[in-house]
Amino acid sequence: MDKIIEVNQLKKSYKKRRSKEYIHAVNDISFTVNRGEILGLLGPNGAGKTTTIKMICGLLIADSGTITVNGINIREKRLGALNHISAVLEGNRNLYWRLTVKENLEYFAGNRGLSRKDVRERIEDLLVKFRLKDKESELVNRLSRGMQQKLAIAVAMLAESDVILLDEPTLGLDVETGYEVRELLKEIVRDYKRTIIISSHDMDVVQDLCERTVIINKGKVVTDDKVENLLKLFDVRAYTLNLGGLLSDEQQQLLLQKFPQHEYTPDTYESILQINLAKSEEIYDLFDVLKLETTPVESIDRSIVNFEQIFMKIVKGDTADEMAQSS
Amino acid sequence: MKWLNLLKANTRKEYLELKRYLPNTIAMLFTFYIVFLGLFGTIQFIGDPSTQDVNTQYVIVNYIFWFLTITVINSIGYEVINEGMRGTLEQLSMSPMGISRIMAARLISTTFINLIIVIVLLYISMLTSGQWLNIDVITIAPILVLTLISMFGVGFIIAGISIILKQVQAFLQILQFILMGLTFVPLSLSPVIAYLPFVKGIDLVREVMIDGLTWSQFTMGDFMLLGFNAIFYFALGLGVFVYCERVAMSKGLLAHY
Ligand SMILES: Nc1ncnc2c1ncn2[C@@H]1O[C@H](COP(=O)(O)OP(=O)(O)O)[C@@H](O)[C@H]1O
Ligand SMILES: [Mg+2]
Repeated sequence: MDKIIEVNQLKKSYKKRRSKEYIHAVNDISFTVNRGEILGLLGPNGAGKTTTIKMICGLLIADSGTITVNGINIREKRLGALNHISAVLEGNRNLYWRLTVKENLEYFAGNRGLSRKDVRERIEDLLVKFRLKDKESELVNRLSRGMQQKLAIAVAMLAESDVILLDEPTLGLDVETGYEVRELLKEIVRDYKRTIIISSHDMDVVQDLCERTVIINKGKVVTDDKVENLLKLFDVRAYTLNLGGLLSDEQQQLLLQKFPQHEYTPDTYESILQINLAKSEEIYDLFDVLKLETTPVESIDRSIVNFEQIFMKIVKGDTADEMAQSS
Repeated sequence: MKWLNLLKANTRKEYLELKRYLPNTIAMLFTFYIVFLGLFGTIQFIGDPSTQDVNTQYVIVNYIFWFLTITVINSIGYEVINEGMRGTLEQLSMSPMGISRIMAARLISTTFINLIIVIVLLYISMLTSGQWLNIDVITIAPILVLTLISMFGVGFIIAGISIILKQVQAFLQILQFILMGLTFVPLSLSPVIAYLPFVKGIDLVREVMIDGLTWSQFTMGDFMLLGFNAIFYFALGLGVFVYCERVAMSKGLLAHY
């Protein structure tokens, strides 16, 4: 497939203030992005997401490693590469507060060398699509945070670049506005064929929007997989059964042998059995055990795993590995 | 074409901001006028009556240039600091036009708009004092252009330093007085001063406006010095700026919020 962005062995460290120590913000990160793909860059605070994004946008020079955009090496031909990129960086303050919504769009277009005439139609389109049309003459400092964020995204869309990077697009927004921005991003994904990289520590954003996710932690890539596969991977067959009575000692013994991880909460009227199945066929073993005493099964629920749990597991697993290695 | 769009966009932004903050703009012009009246009054009442007229003329020209250099050089410094905090500096740095071109466009457009203001102030000052200077546009324009180029160089240096040094605000306060020195110092003090940025240019403008000199009365040396000064400081400024930009991109200083 056509790789529009290739990040190869990227490293960046910052010098700590008033000390000789360095923070390895990005420590050997590699990944690629296919044309037209929506990639989630996921990781806890301080993982190195913003640092990675800024290097791709040419705002930070990497200590080592290479980044190519459309085959252009950003270190060698920075301005050439920037032709294909636009971004909304963290926070929503990257707008001119003394200018109106429309003037901001026009000014940023001008700074990319486009005239007001060139972008007139595009701006109209964006204002309508982003539901900012009735605010076009409003000064930016009078807008709500959500609207400012939408405008910032509109500014990034204006350039019609192949790649758009969004750093924490829903950070600091209330639940409702966060939802609105997510819906808007969905529309963008649907209506404009762009390659989009979204960084976030908000799982909803990634689960909602992304096809693939690169999870980073402490400056390193932890996993790089389709969101779908990750969900499958952790699609632990976790079941919760409500039983209309108690299990016999024999049943309990058998369960312990077959499913050492299970949890049993006895109750004369409604016992609860939580169980993880390694393979789907194991459900028959479970029923064999229950059948011994014809224990009534009132309900069976399959637990739903969300991305957040997966993410926490991966990140925790990663730290556990590290601890195991260092000890 | 792209260049022109860049220039237009920045001129428009400058204009819109001045218009939107009209009370600020008016206050700034008012301050200019009050200070001018103060200087003028001082010369009238305590100056030597025999040199009064010439002194007033000097003050008008110097003061006008001082105002122009402050509004261009000092404000680019403050702008860069503010935009660094706002995050817009990063946004600008992602433009495929490059940040140094955008800064150049800023310098040119700010100068253009402030030049219009300065011309109005010049006429108000002449009207107030009754001292009519020799406004020989044909002679002044080329000198002014070269002088401004040298000024842009200094603007670039200030913009660059403002990106990488956070404590630059205190320096910008002092800079006003450095600029005052550069615009008020007479070349007759020492020939070496002519090598400082835009001093030679302002000196030539003074000679035109006060002593009524024309092109033909300047020497080849004057032109050479003026041209050299413009090229040297512009190149130096651009070099310093590009260097500072690279430092900022290595250390992550384009945004300090
Ligand atoms: N300009 C900077 N100077 C010094 N340290 C920084 C700077 N920017 C980020 N860091 C540090 O680098 C690490 C990664 O930061 P960042 O890339 O912002 O992570 P994320 O965006 O994933 O939260 C953090 O430990 C952060 O404190
Ligand atoms: Mg971040």
